Amino acid sequence: MNVSDSDQSFFTRHQFLIYRLFSLSGLIPVGAFLVVHLVTNASVLAGPGSFQARVDLIHSLGPLLVPIEWAFIFLPMLFHAAVGFVIIAGGLPNVGSYPYVGNVRYTLQRATGMIAFAFIIWHVIQLHWMGAPLGGGKFDPHHASSSTAVALQPIGVTALYAIGVLSAVFHLANGLWTLGITWGLWTSPAAMRRASWVSVAVGILLGGAGLGALAGMRRVDVEQARVIENRMDEVKRMLEGREPVGGPAVRVPEAAPAVPVSAPNSSEGS
Amino acid sequence: MIQAVSPSDAEHDSEPHAAAKTVHVRVLRQDAPGQESYWERHAVPYEPNMNVISVLQKIAERSRAEDGRQVAPVAWDCSCLEEVCGSCTMLVNGRTRMACSALVDRLLEESPGEIELRPMSKFPVVRDLKVDRSRLFHALERVKAWVPVDGSYDHGAGPRISPEEQEDAYPLSTCMSCGCCLEACPQYTKIEAVRRDDESEADFEQRRTAAFDRGFIGAHAISQAVLFNGHPTGRMIADERLASLTAAGGIQQCGNAQNCVAVCPKHIPLTRSIARAGRAATVWAIKKLFDR
Repeated sequence: MNVSDSDQSFFTRHQFLIYRLFSLSGLIPVGAFLVVHLVTNASVLAGPGSFQARVDLIHSLGPLLVPIEWAFIFLPMLFHAAVGFVIIAGGLPNVGSYPYVGNVRYTLQRATGMIAFAFIIWHVIQLHWMGAPLGGGKFDPHHASSSTAVALQPIGVTALYAIGVLSAVFHLANGLWTLGITWGLWTSPAAMRRASWVSVAVGILLGGAGLGALAGMRRVDVEQARVIENRMDEVKRMLEGREPVGGPAVRVPEAAPAVPVSAPNSSEGS
Repeated sequence: MIQAVSPSDAEHDSEPHAAAKTVHVRVLRQDAPGQESYWERHAVPYEPNMNVISVLQKIAERSRAEDGRQVAPVAWDCSCLEEVCGSCTMLVNGRTRMACSALVDRLLEESPGEIELRPMSKFPVVRDLKVDRSRLFHALERVKAWVPVDGSYDHGAGPRISPEEQEDAYPLSTCMSCGCCLEACPQYTKIEAVRRDDESEADFEQRRTAAFDRGFIGAHAISQAVLFNGHPTGRMIADERLASLTAAGGIQQCGNAQNCVAVCPKHIPLTRSIARAGRAATVWAIKKLFDR
C-alpha cells in the first residue's frame, strides 16, 4: 500500500523537516536580520554620524563579517527562497473564486516573497561589495550615509526600494502569523485573531522603520555627511594606530576643525 | 435569468418571483474521464423553493438543451438531500458547495441571469458533474480515521469522555467528506491517474495509490486525525496518525490560506484542527528526535 522509502527522493522523505526548517529560517535568522537591518538603517534619521557609528560596530567584526554574513544571512535566505519557490510552484492561488482575507494574505505572501527575492538580489548587487564587478557595490562602509544617499538619489530607485522593503516587511509580518499556526503556537480562532493584530503591529512598526530609513537617506546632505564620516574615519584610524588616509605626512590638526581629506574640491556648504 | 414569460399568470400573484419563469442553467459537461469538457445551456421552468438538485432533475426529465437538441441527461451525484451525506458537492456559480442546500432563489439573488454548474476541479471527472473522490477517502485511510476496536475478544466498556471533550469533538465528527475544503484549498491540486493500455488493474491501483500518498492529505483528514487522537481509545494509535501527518504530503503542505474553514458547509473549525495537529506534530517531531 505504501510506497517504499527507496522510491522517494531525499526531499520527499524529509519534506516535514525541510518545510519546518523553511518556516523557522524565515524568523531566525532571516526575519531577525531584517529587523536589525531596518532599525540600523533608520538610525540615519538621527544623522549620518549615528548611522556611521552603527555601521562601524557591524564592521568591527573585521574578517569574521564575511563568514557571519554567509552563515546567518545569505545561506539561510537562499534556502528559504529555494524552498519557497518549490512551495509556490506546488500551489494554485484561487483568490478570484474565494476572495477571503486569509486567501488574499496567502496570495500576497507568495507575491511579496517573490518581489522581496528579486529586490534583495538587486539590492545586494547595487550596494554590497560583491556587486562591484557588476557595476554595483556602491556602499562604502567608511562613508555609510553619503554613499547610500548617492546610490538612492534617483527617485525611481527610492520608489523601487520602498516597494521592495514593504514587500519584505509584509512577508515577515504575515509569515510570523502563519508560523504561529504551523508550529501550533496559536490554535483557536480567537488566538489567531489576536496574533493577527500582533503581526499587523509588527508590520506597521517595521514598515515605518524601513520607510523612515529611506526618507532619512534622501534627507542626507552628502557633503556634510562626508565631512562627518571623514572625521570619524580619522579618529578610528588614530585609535587603531593606523596611518591617516592623507599619508604619513599629514597630521590631524589638534584644535582646528577637521578638514575633509578625501573631498578637497567640494564646496564647503557656503 | 428569470424571464417573465407571462407576467399576468394569476397563479402566484403575491410572489414576484413566482410567475411562470425560466431558470437558465449553464453546465460544464464531460462525456467520460479524460475527454474534453464543453458548456451546454439548459432552461427549466421556475418553481418556488427549488434547489440545484431539483433543477438537475428537471434537466434530466427534459433531456433537451436550451436550443431544443436532444441530449443525454446531465449526470450528478446526490443522496440524502439534506446536507449530511456529502455526495452532491459541485461548483455552483464558481464556488464549491452542496447542490442540495444551494437554493435557486438565493443563487439568482447573488448572480441574476443564470446558474453555472461545474464539476469539482480537484478530482477527476467521471461524467458531467460526477467526480471520483477516491483520494479523499484514501487520505482518511492514511491517517487511520477510526477508533481501532476490531478484534477477536471483548474489549469491555470504553473509557468515559467528559462533556467538555464531547463538546470539543462533536463539531469535528460532523464532517461528511464532501470535499469542499479540498476544492477551495490552493495547496490541494488535482491528481488524475490514467490507466495505461499495458497496465493491469492492480498495477494501476498501486500506481494511483502511490501518487495519492505523495499528495497533500487535506484539511478533512487532518481534522479527523485530531478528532481520533483526542478520543481516549483512538489515542492508542496517536503516533501512527502523527507519522502519517508528518510524512510526505502531510500537514506541512498547509499554506494557511484558511479557505477550508470559510467554505466548510458544516462550519467545522478546520483551522483549529490544523493548528492543533501542527502543535502535536511539533512536539512529536522533537520527541522523536531525542527519544530514538
